[in-house]
Amino acid sequence: MSPRLNITTFTRSIAFRPKPQVQWPARSALRLAPLQCRLYTDSTTLPAADRSKREDARPIEHVSEEAASMAKTMGEEGPDLTQGTAIEEVVQGDKAAQANLPKVMQDKLKSEAPNTKPNMAPKGSRSYSTTTTQTGGNSALDMGLVDLQSVPKVPETPGLKYEMPSLPLPKDGHVKHRHDPVVEQVTNLLMRHGKKSVAERNMALILQHLRTSPIPSINPARPLLPGAPPPSHLPLNPILYLILAIDSVAPLMRIRSQRGAAGGGVALQIPVPLGQRQRRRAAVQWIMGAASKRRNMGSGKNSFAQRIAQELIAVVQGTSEIWAKRNAIHKLGVAARANIVLPRKR
Amino acid sequence: MPPSPCLRSFSRLSLDASTHNFLAPRLLHPRVACFSTSTARPAAAPKKKGSTAAPKKGVKSLNTKKGKKSPGGDAGKRPAQGDRKALRKRIVLSNDNALEVSSLTDLDKANVLSDANEGKVMGLPAEKVVDALRAVDAFKTTQGWSLFRRPAVLMRKEAMQLASLFREVEDSATGPQKRTIRRILSGERMSGKSTLLLQGMSMAFLRDWFVISLPEAQDIVNAHTDYAPLPNSQPMQYTQDTYTANLLQQMLKSNVTFFESAKLTTTPDLPLPLPAKARLADLVALGMANPEASWPVFVALWNELSQPGRPPILLAVDGLSHIMRHSAYMSAEVKPIHAHDLTLIRHFVDHLSGQKKLPNGGLVLGATSQSNAPTSPALDFCIEVAQARQKTSDNVPQWNPYKNVDVRVMDALKDLNSDSKDFDVIKVGGLSKEEARSIMEYYAESGMLRHQVNEGFVSEKWSLAGMGNIGELEKVSVRLRL
Repeated sequence: MSPRLNITTFTRSIAFRPKPQVQWPARSALRLAPLQCRLYTDSTTLPAADRSKREDARPIEHVSEEAASMAKTMGEEGPDLTQGTAIEEVVQGDKAAQANLPKVMQDKLKSEAPNTKPNMAPKGSRSYSTTTTQTGGNSALDMGLVDLQSVPKVPETPGLKYEMPSLPLPKDGHVKHRHDPVVEQVTNLLMRHGKKSVAERNMALILQHLRTSPIPSINPARPLLPGAPPPSHLPLNPILYLILAIDSVAPLMRIRSQRGAAGGGVALQIPVPLGQRQRRRAAVQWIMGAASKRRNMGSGKNSFAQRIAQELIAVVQGTSEIWAKRNAIHKLGVAARANIVLPRKR
Repeated sequence: MPPSPCLRSFSRLSLDASTHNFLAPRLLHPRVACFSTSTARPAAAPKKKGSTAAPKKGVKSLNTKKGKKSPGGDAGKRPAQGDRKALRKRIVLSNDNALEVSSLTDLDKANVLSDANEGKVMGLPAEKVVDALRAVDAFKTTQGWSLFRRPAVLMRKEAMQLASLFREVEDSATGPQKRTIRRILSGERMSGKSTLLLQGMSMAFLRDWFVISLPEAQDIVNAHTDYAPLPNSQPMQYTQDTYTANLLQQMLKSNVTFFESAKLTTTPDLPLPLPAKARLADLVALGMANPEASWPVFVALWNELSQPGRPPILLAVDGLSHIMRHSAYMSAEVKPIHAHDLTLIRHFVDHLSGQKKLPNGGLVLGATSQSNAPTSPALDFCIEVAQARQKTSDNVPQWNPYKNVDVRVMDALKDLNSDSKDFDVIKVGGLSKEEARSIMEYYAESGMLRHQVNEGFVSEKWSLAGMGNIGELEKVSVRLRL
């Protein structure tokens, strides 16, 4: 039995100082009194120095504000101050005022002026299109945003900015985990030289090959996972097909060779259990190795994907030699089970 | 004139080694056989096998190989010649795993041109249309026919446009003025231009038109087939005998019903004798069997089709920009031959440009390609102009004067910049959401799309597909492309 850790009986003192507790004073009335000294982060003006209330210090009113106040005194309907000011309308026909406009608005005015040459090609026209596919003839531009609402609804639960999501969250709700985890793992294992899009194309071709191949016939000597769907369901659900093939041949353990543990220069074989991702990884590596040994009968980009798909079908049908490999590992693991050193119980 | 090395050897003949043997030692004048340009080389004595001396003890050899490696790769039998390409180009039109769509109705002669099937997915009848389309190579490997139970097409808005053109031509067939309508299909990549062409061809087959299709324009101009100058042509034109013979075969296979009944009414001028009481099919078979006579046979067949009472004609070509430039063939003066100087293409372009009319009326369709298209600035410009004119006729783009203009292409397509209704561009755009929903329901019913097709799902995929680009829509919803 190891002795209990006792903090009070340290051999030397530890530089440990409890943090002083920050506590609000009970009487908060103190804080109401304004500070007399000016802090940097505080507002720059003291109340006494505020001269904005004086009549002469006020800035000149905005055009529409002035018009509104004028209209108010005259008892008429002035411009609506909640809207922006239509500067274009104000300066329309006033050449002197137009000269003082900002450059952007001047350019806009110029471009709206009637063109002298009606057949002139539009400036800066590219040879290629930078827009997305236009729905032919339909002038109304629908950007296709799903359920776009300009005004967010006020949630009923107080304290929430948006509505409560409906639980459970959808599986593909997160943008980074929207695909099936096995498909994603296999895609990454297929990837060479960091070319993910090539790997993704290969993955799509594998699944396409699985869904167009005939229904597999299951070999009873090589049972698949218990609870597997009937083989007639597999081609219509290629992802399930892939997962079933991989999980069925995935080894339960790997054999670690510990050198010098057995004595006499022989490595000690120690079986080590694998986690689910590791098991799948081992199976995919075997499948890829067996696929690269297959004869390439075609040509072109999709031949590797086709061979992997053929290997997956062979696994499900029990004709692949990966099964023998898996059985050998399991047999070795069972034989070497005495070498497992479990941690001592306390 | 003989080649220069021979001349040089000949001139050296007088300076034979024996004449100035005394001037220089023999070493400087190796005995060279005249008329040989290869360097003199003493014949190496044949080495005995395995006689190389073993390296001395203690001397390191440069050979770093540890042992004999096993021969890499598999040494098994290779696929036979042509098998790999056949596998790559294989067209699969059915998937036994896909579910039968119960609501799928077939196109037939009565309903193919009706407006009622707008936005619906319609099946292609197997024996009449699918075999004919297969014979003319209308199906492409990149299209997703292999995923579904049997070929079916979406009757989208552009297809209905095409159907109305078919109706116009057929309505004018009874009157004195037979109409020839010409259209260029253009649009974004994977927007369904080739499939629309296929839909046009299936309409023509169902309506008993005569279809002549050049399935891939690249194959005509890339100099992979033989060519020969056409005698008595000014300027020089070139025939492609093997290609034309193959085209005749495709025409014979695809237009079965026409050739069953068609009789020969004229006496064609052919280099080979025709059997007595020959039918039109015998004429075509003659051209197929004798490629050197294939072009005269084609001309004779065209004359037959021009007789009154023959069916309207659909001329179709895919990959238009290949034939709007110089071909890869060379003339006798080692100048590139313009594609319009190849007889087959000239025949097509004459009808596309409106220089010649189809005598019994008909339709000329050319589809552009975005994935396999060499630059053809004149074609691009003409399409751009036509599209600008469809919107407003006063702001058409101008030709960039710093670009090289292909005058022949400009001449052929100049009608696009006029008010004529006969020659125009059909812009193949994105699907509308209703059309997208219709085809996605078809995907789901086939079992290829495992999701509930509802409003949100359709608009999500529709926007992911670049506002309804049908190829992208298929990619994101059916092909499981991550």
